[in-house]
Amino acid sequence: MTMKKMVFVLAYALIVVSVFAFTKTTENSKLSLALSNQYAKKMADASEKLDELDSALKQTLLFNNSDGSQKAREDIWRLSSDIKSSVASLPLDASFSTSWMNYLGRIGNYAKEADRSVEPDEYYKVMSQASKNLGVMQDEWTLATAGLVDGKYSMDEWTNRLNATNPDVDWSNMGESIKQYTETDFPLTASESDAMKKKELKNIDEAKVTQEVAVERFKTVFPTVSNEVIGVEKSMPGSPYPFFHIRFADGESIGYIDITEKGGHVLSYLSERPFGKDSLSFDEIKKRAEDFLVAANYKDLVYEESRENSTAWHFVFVRKEPFYGAKVFSDVIHVKVAKDNGDVIGLNAAEYIRKEKLHRQSVKKMDWNEFFHKDVKIVNDELAYVENERLEQRLSHYLTVTRDEHGTIGTYNVIVDAETAEVIKTEKLN
Amino acid sequence: MKKIVLSILTIALLIGSAYATSPVQINAFSSRDLAQGSTGDDIIELQARLQYIGFYNGKIDGKFGYGTYWALRSFQEQYGLPIDGIAGSQTKKKLTAASSYDEKFVMDNLKKGNQFTHYGGKPLSSQVKQGGGGNENVHLPSKYSEQDLKLMANAVYGEARGEPYEGQVAVAAVILNRVEHADFPDTIGGVIFQPGAFTAVADGQIWLTPNERAKEAVLDALNGWDPSENSIYYFNPITATSKWIWSRPQVKKIGLHVFCH
Repeated sequence: MTMKKMVFVLAYALIVVSVFAFTKTTENSKLSLALSNQYAKKMADASEKLDELDSALKQTLLFNNSDGSQKAREDIWRLSSDIKSSVASLPLDASFSTSWMNYLGRIGNYAKEADRSVEPDEYYKVMSQASKNLGVMQDEWTLATAGLVDGKYSMDEWTNRLNATNPDVDWSNMGESIKQYTETDFPLTASESDAMKKKELKNIDEAKVTQEVAVERFKTVFPTVSNEVIGVEKSMPGSPYPFFHIRFADGESIGYIDITEKGGHVLSYLSERPFGKDSLSFDEIKKRAEDFLVAANYKDLVYEESRENSTAWHFVFVRKEPFYGAKVFSDVIHVKVAKDNGDVIGLNAAEYIRKEKLHRQSVKKMDWNEFFHKDVKIVNDELAYVENERLEQRLSHYLTVTRDEHGTIGTYNVIVDAETAEVIKTEKLN
Repeated sequence: MKKIVLSILTIALLIGSAYATSPVQINAFSSRDLAQGSTGDDIIELQARLQYIGFYNGKIDGKFGYGTYWALRSFQEQYGLPIDGIAGSQTKKKLTAASSYDEKFVMDNLKKGNQFTHYGGKPLSSQVKQGGGGNENVHLPSKYSEQDLKLMANAVYGEARGEPYEGQVAVAAVILNRVEHADFPDTIGGVIFQPGAFTAVADGQIWLTPNERAKEAVLDALNGWDPSENSIYYFNPITATSKWIWSRPQVKKIGLHVFCH
């Protein structure tokens, strides 16, 4: 009797498990199919748009005057952006997709900027070559994605082939080819190169400091931290600029500071600890930030803005250049101050180390009444150096304007090149 | 004697009634000055009071931005106060006297994730609408949204919750560096959900609820900190299977992660 019962229970359990497994497998297959269909659609879309991009690119080569090709150039920018977005969401080889996105972005930007900064002959030369290279890539792309687009491979098979040691599609080679095309077709401009050098701090031409000097620098800038240094490590060999990474503990606080080897400049500092009750006013906290900067020898900065968060205030200070009295928004320092006791618990000075090279510019007299709609009111107008889309530092009117938007006041930051009146940026402020 | 007792009782009754019917406005606001960039419950009170008397039409969210600033200046102008857009003691006193604030009603609705269609001047039930509220008590740089903060906190918690604080800020910074880099998608969502980019997305850990530490780390990255020193990749050398990732120039090791270009 017991045996019979057991057999019954086991048989019943087996049936339940089988039904569950079958349902699960069916569900997984459906999900996998839905996913591969989505990817196939995106790949097919990208291929179709590549055709359109090639066609738009060739159309722009028909004209000497940039007005004639304006519509096609807008199409190049839109299509390259669409394809880039599709590529970003597809399961592809990482090195290939990054190079591919970069190339597409550069084609789009070049076409967009053509009427402002490129001579027609130069445009023809660059885009003829790009069109040729794009044709080659188009063929390779069609071949490489055929398996998924034609429904030949399931999602699992596609992923396995992608991750195989010897994949049937040479993604890595395709990625390398595109990289070469990028370098030859769209080399970095002087401004891009300068901007990159600044960001990577490659060219600091100051003497190297030792590890001991770096630790001493830390103690000078943050004298209130007890400086129980846990460890000092040099940056790894791949870093474009060598620095010391110093970790420290101070009571319940633990944190780090990075200091460049050349010149011993602070890159960034952060300290983490439990926080007590807020006890200081905003003015007291702001003063702590300002006093700290002066004591640390950052003396050409002015307060720009602040943001309160649960445990700390984040402050932004920017450099003020003496000739025009203009703020330089790329030379910025961030300071984080604790709300409970006013300690400086964060400093970010990486962008301040290598100051921007600024050029004098003429300042065109602007008729703002003509420039803005009559509803717009200018509430602040100051001069500032701001980076434009071509990564050049431009002296600009840094305007804060308002407009009545159905009963609420909308506030905007509008940046206008002081010489050319080009609108560099418009941003809604919250 | 009876007359005296009657008089005393009448006076006491009058004083009691006056006290009972007067609006409860004692100890309104905290003692600090409220200026642009501030956040917190007293900003909620400031916005609610300004809205109650028709100076503020924006969202009651506890963030002192430009909307609150212009509304406060209008109030100061109309009430003969110095116009500086800062709610100091004098401004707060005038505002408290001129408006009414039902703290429990306002805070309860905000906690429920409701938002105000308009606070004050009509029946309580028609002042709020369900949903659309639910704010983090943070003030972000203009170019980022609370959605960005939430999504990045999920990614950081899923990817690096066991890492030191510095390591968590660095992971958040890598996401932002990718958004700025030509080789990657242009949005935070695009970067995080790029197929194969983050393990936490692939194994679903991105949907774990992030803790305050992860949010704080993201906040520091959004405010400009980058302990990764401009890195666009990171990996755990113990678990990494991709050969390609080892070919990237390595910058720095934080906790278990190697950050690279």
